[in-house]
Amino acid sequence: MRIYSASSEETLRAHKLLTDWAGEGYLTKEQYRLLEQETASGLRTTNIFLRLVLFLFTLIIVGAAAGLFFVVFLSRATEQTAGVFFLIFAAVCYVAAEGAVSQGRLYRYGIEEALVVFSVGFLCVGMMAAFFSGSPFSSRPDAGQFLVPAAGAAFSLWIWRRFGFSYAFLAAMIFVLFLPGYWTSSHSAQHAMVAMFYAIELAGVAALRSRHRFDCIEDDYSLVEAMLWLGMYLAINLQLSSLDLLSLNLPVRWRGGIHVTPEFASPFYWGTWVLIWCLPPIVLARGFRQKDRFVIAVGAIVTTLTLVSNKPYLGWQRHTWDPMLLGMLLTAVAVFTRRWLAHGPGGIRHGFTAARLSGKDKHWMNVGSNVLGLISPQSITPEPQTSAAGVHFGGGQSGGGGASSEF
Amino acid sequence: MIILARLEQWKQQGKISPEQNAHLAGLVRGEPFSLFLELNVLLYAGVLAFVAGLGWTVSKWSEQLGDVLVLTVLSAILAACFWYCFSRASAWTAAEAPAPSPIFDYVLYLGSLVWSVELAYIEKRFNVMSGRLDFDLLATAALFFFLAYRFDNRFVLSLGLSSLAGWFGLTISRWSHPQDAAYRQYALLYCLLVGVGGAILQRCGVKGHFFGTYLNIVANVLFWALLSGVFNREGYGLWFLALFIACGASLAWGLARRQFAFVAYAAVYGYVGASSMFLRGVNDTSAVLGYFVVTGVAMLVLLVQIGRRFGRPA
Repeated sequence: MRIYSASSEETLRAHKLLTDWAGEGYLTKEQYRLLEQETASGLRTTNIFLRLVLFLFTLIIVGAAAGLFFVVFLSRATEQTAGVFFLIFAAVCYVAAEGAVSQGRLYRYGIEEALVVFSVGFLCVGMMAAFFSGSPFSSRPDAGQFLVPAAGAAFSLWIWRRFGFSYAFLAAMIFVLFLPGYWTSSHSAQHAMVAMFYAIELAGVAALRSRHRFDCIEDDYSLVEAMLWLGMYLAINLQLSSLDLLSLNLPVRWRGGIHVTPEFASPFYWGTWVLIWCLPPIVLARGFRQKDRFVIAVGAIVTTLTLVSNKPYLGWQRHTWDPMLLGMLLTAVAVFTRRWLAHGPGGIRHGFTAARLSGKDKHWMNVGSNVLGLISPQSITPEPQTSAAGVHFGGGQSGGGGASSEF
Repeated sequence: MIILARLEQWKQQGKISPEQNAHLAGLVRGEPFSLFLELNVLLYAGVLAFVAGLGWTVSKWSEQLGDVLVLTVLSAILAACFWYCFSRASAWTAAEAPAPSPIFDYVLYLGSLVWSVELAYIEKRFNVMSGRLDFDLLATAALFFFLAYRFDNRFVLSLGLSSLAGWFGLTISRWSHPQDAAYRQYALLYCLLVGVGGAILQRCGVKGHFFGTYLNIVANVLFWALLSGVFNREGYGLWFLALFIACGASLAWGLARRQFAFVAYAAVYGYVGASSMFLRGVNDTSAVLGYFVVTGVAMLVLLVQIGRRFGRPA
């Protein structure tokens, strides 16, 4: 099923690990030179910057070519005709991506990635135009329209399995979000269905993953599992996934102005509250047990999200100092964990260490400190103060962590 | 063959020692598993959340708390942070120096952010600089640069660079007016100052590892400034020429130093600028789309050639 042979991907992984180990001094230069010759995979890779730029230009070319085709040849075509051509474009893009990999030996090169992205997009647009044109956004959509996101999800899953692009799996997860809306109008049922879909996928991924211990495919499954845990949590946490949050009216939410959203039945609402407290320890336990970086990260994220969304769940008043308490808690956990690990024999406890073992960690720290150092002052700088008592100020558009515009 | 089998084979062939095999196989199996990155992210998030809450609380409750209490608390945090940093820091060196403790960088970062909060509070409440916030920003930038170079901290260096940009009137929010010639000139001046300053410091061997940060910021600000000139309705020719030269320099630098971010900058910013020039006044949709197809293919071929010649071998 996979377009790349297991041996070539394993060889590529071995090459990357060798480079990392040589950089950390675990291998001598002579050893690296000798072993490197044995890790020529034959796949054509590139660095992240060229990959992004190649992706961008392939998007431009394919998008412009499709647009040009429609402008020149199909300017007066019906939606059905256009839809059929979109489906043809989807097939052409997919075949081109397959060709780029099988003939050009491209691996995470940007070009084949943009082609498969377009193939999914064209498929969905083509299906909608060819089979359901006329009422794509009507209040009573055609019952069969669920086939569009279903096909998008299935095709994205296929691309993930075939090419190993983790973001194709993410696309499949997003398509799944749209499915319950075609089957029921109950928001509770929709949330439950999405969570159920993700749970089923999670069980499948966990079962498949156990066959790939320590090989290169395991990394893909690791990321996918982490995405599924996060997706399931977001589907369950009604305070995060409700539409009110999407309206970005964060200051109102932060003050605790929203409690039980009326569209959810009380048992369901409180059931999800219990679940958002149950899920984080499960995810963290799974991550630590598997020693899985992505799942541990998602465990930390959902734990933080639970702490952040607990007050609005309960309808309690939020305070401006809540972020300070959260910050102190996060810092205390980090410092305590680091110290606890460092005081173990050889700086290791239960197979975990706080020491840096890979050059990648340092690289990411450097990149992160540069980028976040530039961004963070913009996001946390407080709004100017009042200069005299009794004077009412207003109109500030943003403030520390989302402070209100009215003082 | 998975990597563990490969390591075993290399050991049997004598290419790596049994100790190396045991160590590397342990790393592959996650024995031990490093939580270095996760703990650092947690610390960073903790500091950021704390300062966000602090700033927000000060912003909302300053009237009720009173100036004395607010300033006492902020000054106490600030003093504690800087006392920790100055008391723990090892002697200054021009070379890259590791942090004396795992939390050191974050304490310094916390102190720097609290300084910003306190300065903003003092200025707004007491109007010390008579509303000249630019002096505050300049003083803050100077302090951050000093701290960054004293303690070898990239977080604070980035804060210093963004404060300096603020002093030049170059906050990101103001880019909604790209036609404004004054901001463009300030941006170019900022690039010149930061670029030359960074180059001189690197040449003198003072924290040469910071140079990459300088260059990336300068490149992006410069390209944005030049692009905003190219988008002008009049007098854009000179800006386009400047953009062309900057792209060439960025491309040459990226290829020579194998820093492909600069190749990407040259490709993307250059393409946007050139497209803006060539499509100026073109209203025919077919011509526009045809342009994107032809030039996109040309760029793709060029980049693939660059990737083949200079890219990472696999």
